[in-house]
Amino acid sequence: MNRTAKLGALAVAAVTVLALSACAPSAPPEVEASAGSDTLTIATTTDVVNYNPLIGNSRSDYWVTNLMYPHLLTIAEDGTKQPQVALEWGYVDETTGFYEIRDDLTWSDGVKLTAEDVAWTMNAVKQDAPSGTFYGQLANFESATAVSDTRIEIDLVTADASIVEEIGFWGNVIPKHVFEKADSVADFPNDGSDGGWVSAGPYLLTDVQVGQSYTMERVEDYPLVEGGTPISAKVIYRVFPDVNTEILALQSGEVDLIANALPPAQVETLRGTPGIEVAEAVGLGYAHMTYNMTKPDLAKLEVRQALAHAVDYETIREVVLQGQAVSTGSSPLMPVLGDYYDDSIEEYEFDTDLARSLMEDAGYEAGADGMFPMSFRLIYSLQDSVTSQWVTLVKDSAAEAGIAIELQGTERNTYLAQTNAGDFDIYAGNFAIMDDPVTNMTLTYLPGGVINYTYVDDPELSELIITAQSTTDKAEKVELMQEAAAIVRDNVYDNIMYTQNLYFAHSDKWTGFISKPSELLSIVNPLSIASARLK
Amino acid sequence: MSLASFVLRRLGRGVLTIWFAVTVTFLLLRLLPGDPALAVASPNMTEDARVALLEQYGLNEPLIVQYGLYLWQLVQGNLGVSFTQSIPVLDVLIQRLPWTLLLTGTALVATVVIGVPLGVIAAARRGKLADRVVQIIGVTGQSLFVPSIGVFLLFTFGLVLGWFPIGGAYTTGTYGAEWYLSVLSHLVLPATSLMLIQLGSYVLTMRSTLIDALGEDYTVLAHANGLPARRVLWKHALRNALLPTTTLIGLQLGFLVGGAVLTETVFAYPGIGRGIYEAVTQLDFPVLQGAFLMLAATVVVVNMITDFIYGILDPRVKTA
Amino acid sequence: MSIDKKTPPAIDAVAEPVSAEYGRASAATWRAFRKEPLGIIALVIMLALILVALAAPLLAPYPASYGTAVLQPPSATNWFGTDSLGRDLFGEVIWGTQQSLLVAAAASLIAIAFGTIVAVIGAYFRRLDGMISVIVDLMLSLPVLPLMILIAALVGPSTATIILVVAAFSWPEVTRIVRSQALTVVGLPYVDAARLMTTSPTWIIRKHVVPAVTPVIVVSVVVTASRAVLSAAGLAFLGLGDPTTWSWGRILYEAQQSGAMSSAWWLTLFPSLAIFALVLSATLLSIAYNDARNPKSRRR
Repeated sequence: MNRTAKLGALAVAAVTVLALSACAPSAPPEVEASAGSDTLTIATTTDVVNYNPLIGNSRSDYWVTNLMYPHLLTIAEDGTKQPQVALEWGYVDETTGFYEIRDDLTWSDGVKLTAEDVAWTMNAVKQDAPSGTFYGQLANFESATAVSDTRIEIDLVTADASIVEEIGFWGNVIPKHVFEKADSVADFPNDGSDGGWVSAGPYLLTDVQVGQSYTMERVEDYPLVEGGTPISAKVIYRVFPDVNTEILALQSGEVDLIANALPPAQVETLRGTPGIEVAEAVGLGYAHMTYNMTKPDLAKLEVRQALAHAVDYETIREVVLQGQAVSTGSSPLMPVLGDYYDDSIEEYEFDTDLARSLMEDAGYEAGADGMFPMSFRLIYSLQDSVTSQWVTLVKDSAAEAGIAIELQGTERNTYLAQTNAGDFDIYAGNFAIMDDPVTNMTLTYLPGGVINYTYVDDPELSELIITAQSTTDKAEKVELMQEAAAIVRDNVYDNIMYTQNLYFAHSDKWTGFISKPSELLSIVNPLSIASARLK
Repeated sequence: MSLASFVLRRLGRGVLTIWFAVTVTFLLLRLLPGDPALAVASPNMTEDARVALLEQYGLNEPLIVQYGLYLWQLVQGNLGVSFTQSIPVLDVLIQRLPWTLLLTGTALVATVVIGVPLGVIAAARRGKLADRVVQIIGVTGQSLFVPSIGVFLLFTFGLVLGWFPIGGAYTTGTYGAEWYLSVLSHLVLPATSLMLIQLGSYVLTMRSTLIDALGEDYTVLAHANGLPARRVLWKHALRNALLPTTTLIGLQLGFLVGGAVLTETVFAYPGIGRGIYEAVTQLDFPVLQGAFLMLAATVVVVNMITDFIYGILDPRVKTA
Repeated sequence: MSIDKKTPPAIDAVAEPVSAEYGRASAATWRAFRKEPLGIIALVIMLALILVALAAPLLAPYPASYGTAVLQPPSATNWFGTDSLGRDLFGEVIWGTQQSLLVAAAASLIAIAFGTIVAVIGAYFRRLDGMISVIVDLMLSLPVLPLMILIAALVGPSTATIILVVAAFSWPEVTRIVRSQALTVVGLPYVDAARLMTTSPTWIIRKHVVPAVTPVIVVSVVVTASRAVLSAAGLAFLGLGDPTTWSWGRILYEAQQSGAMSSAWWLTLFPSLAIFALVLSATLLSIAYNDARNPKSRRR
């Protein structure tokens, strides 16, 4: 090779190296080391996609923003609401509610957290309508006023006995002085580009490496935790694409805690793994199937009953859920809600012969192959691995009773679209947090309800629910709800299959976690994280 | 042919390839069954936003107009907006690109560095045990399934032996020299997986072209001229065998990038490949499209680089 | 890259003088093949896998929808262990062989049929050849897996999708291999002679060109099939496989989804070994066959 060519080759190589190094990822800038203390590293499978707590999105969004924007109320293991930012709450009269809040909370930039923030948040959400659960709670809300620095009063459109607690639990408090800069809180990205974030504690997001890690630093003054200061100096959320890598990382010590619930089959394995502890969080949701009553076959009670008796509930709970699920008695009132639970409501018995005879009672005749002349299309989300597993069991046991079920698993967006359009015979899914029966039944069983997937319109049931909405007496409310639940169960307006307890793995070097119901809170709720410490 | 015209031809081909990739993507989404609006408008969008977006892409226009609009958007760097993250696809991908480049680049370099000596050994000791061993390595390598290898390496060297970290591209909270070191240690296992699947075909091709080169006239001539065997091997035969194997790198690049998708998924490596995996589960089409185009562009660019190197190495391509 | 003289002779096809005496050549090939132990072993493995696929019902019952012994390591009752729903892994792997072989066979047949036709037409009709080789080059230079993912995600996962998607991206490779051989053939004197006898290109192609490229096609069958297995398994691993049938990729996918991959080593090992066995035997077969039919390499 002649000299010119050699030089040319070197030049190309040099240019290539320079070009590649220009494209190479750059090291993050040097940051001053923080004083002493420990870092809690938490693994999650979903990336944080949005920092605005008013807009519902991925779980990681919720976990991270929860550590910055507090809720008025929290929840106890039996589903009852507990104070957090709000110390007292209730009703002044039928259409006016109130909250009394703490006076010792401050935003991380020094501004005090007052009733003005709370009232402003509620009004802004009502006005700008960001799509999320918060806005969904505001149907009967009209406006909020900060009567003093620590008292907020809310005006309701009509009497609603649940709304004060529901808004308090589901809604965040956001800093007015930050969010008011935006035209609309529904569009405000809150991505920290304007000088970082403002947090009421226990932690403040300081560094984001998209798709990799989210670093949060301690907010020194956090009265809600024992001792007044969160124990860990830093909390880092690390993103992993799947649970296998998370488990390996936990075992090797790279992460201290896995935020997402463990797949049922892994719970026992991890319990038995040295160095790892498994914490339990009571489930507040349920898995269910609903039968679309706008379809002529499913409008018949016997057919729905047949389908309900053709499911092997025990096996599903034993095998798919590994015994970590509990029957609700096919009632929408779950055992964990101690006040409401009615153990006289019993689960549908798995009996394929009974199912078959019910179908015959409805006027159908089985063909030579033993199958009835129809097929029901069941939709479910492929991303939900547990449901994906038990729908095949449902299909198989229904086939034993002569009922043909066609499984249609789709990705989440298509599934949601089909659900909303009523494009299914049978819907299989999960309801994540059912903390208040009245609110839940309003949405699920009233005609036109947002999640009324069975398209039921039962006047007797509707009346019970509407009455309960304005009933403030707890005992009365419980009675109405139990009556309603019995109707739902007997008419198979909803087939509640189980409520699942959730398990979370963490390193045994850490302790002090405080477990709360549901995957959104579990052991990654603000109080738990602020209290966690190395042994 | 002159170097200048060679360069021009290669550039032209590169542009052609990218155009081809763009057109293929466009046609796929418009012609395949299903709603083409799916590809640009998220089903969760408000109706107004959806209509606006559809108009922007001209989805109600005749195909040729849509194509023009699509190209125009691309030229402006608009790859669409991600469904799940509601931010431009370009932003989503651009921060992932360096990691994929790093991973595939390292795997490539490792393949060459290990592959060349192995190929040489095999060719030099043709028919003997060393040759057999190399051939076995080669054939085995070609038959590996990337996720299996990835999980195996992760499990053995990451967990059981604990030599390497698990997941991610670097250790959070490190800076400066420590950061670079952590990048390296996180790179080893995924790059090794990728390299292993490449190595096989590279070694075998190296071996066979070298064997052929050793049989060529100029080699015989060199021997006849009394040059020592080793010098013949290294200086003449090898250099000529490097030509087609350089081409091979380019050919294999598409395949390598595909392997990167699977590797990044297993190792939680934050590159474009993992971006694809996450986008698939959500059916985030804009990201999938954009990722494909970006990867295609990467392949084209690297191909051009290898071709330039080839052009310099090949004596048949005269310098101006 | 361009298919000109700079392309290295790939391991899977060597353009060399075509033997006009076809019958005797194939007999000689078989004799040479028989002498190569690796080739014979590969053939045996391949036949064993095909046998397993055909005889699946006899070897293991179709995996039930669930079992009670969840995530058990290999034992006397479950030779390969059980998965996260308690299903027998041995049965899954056996029945998965059917699907994997079916997809590989179907995809490669389609790819080969299409690729060969394109290559032969291009070789015979020189005017089309330029355009064909450009298209083939372009398709070969694209990163194929991301594109397959995009299409599979769009159309929805099913066996037909996988087969068509894999076939659509495997044919250029076939064309590349067959084309160089076809070009050689078309340049031979007896083809010119045939052109004097008849004006029908189809007849010439059918009678002379195709038989001459057949050995190359045989090689590319196995190569394309083995690549198809890897592509299909890759797609299934990402969740784009057919969720209603068992395939090796699906086993890996479910192991990953259920979080069992990190602890249940058997869930990864056995399907991986199956994939490896199929692909390795196919590759070895093609090499052995290639060596056997090439008179040059027979002289060792």
